[in-house]
Amino acid sequence: MKEYMYADLQIGLAEAFTYLVTEECMNFFRKMTGDVNPLHCSENYAKIHGFSDRVVYGMLSASLLSTLGGVYLPGKYCLIRQAHTKFLRPVYIGDMLTVTGTVYELHDSVEQAVIKVEMKNQADEAVLKGRLYVGFLERREK
Amino acid sequence: MKKEEIYEKLNQVFQEVFDDESILVSEGTTADDIEDWDSLEHINLVVAVEKKFGIKFNMGEVNRFKNVGEMADTIAARIKV
Repeated sequence: MKEYMYADLQIGLAEAFTYLVTEECMNFFRKMTGDVNPLHCSENYAKIHGFSDRVVYGMLSASLLSTLGGVYLPGKYCLIRQAHTKFLRPVYIGDMLTVTGTVYELHDSVEQAVIKVEMKNQADEAVLKGRLYVGFLERREK
Repeated sequence: MKKEEIYEKLNQVFQEVFDDESILVSEGTTADDIEDWDSLEHINLVVAVEKKFGIKFNMGEVNRFKNVGEMADTIAARIKV
């Protein structure tokens, strides 16, 4: 886990990780949220509406912004204040997503960083773009 | 920039940040006067004001603002420099 503090950041600093979307992820997400919309649960329904398979929950993909902020950039002392996302392409089960965060703005007066987020699939196609607005917790460990 | 112009721009920023076109701020306006003005929105407000006026506050200034008037005075002083 990264442990960047505000003072460690500079514009352009980037971190990335990969995530494989599995059937299990979809099942967990459906149970947690109760979203049983057939676009995510029925292959037939998804195909009728022009998708090649069941579509992965957009909010499942978006939840990786939590991982990005909380584990990678800035990591341990992250406090997510806002998250903005745009869904650009459908994600399918089996897709390998690469999530990249880049420091985009630094606001010294309030010690807030804006992280530009880009998520791509294994074909290098952007599936999600977003912004994370993060503050920082104090180091309080003894 | 005249004080009236500063308040005109501040009103635009407040209305955008709080998504409320009825907001009109004055020197004495404080967080108690605007329902959604909590600590998170305060951060959004400071960043939006900095962008609108092309200035940077320092952390001490941000923590000392007691009302909109003090913020406007700081903006006026910063623009003159």
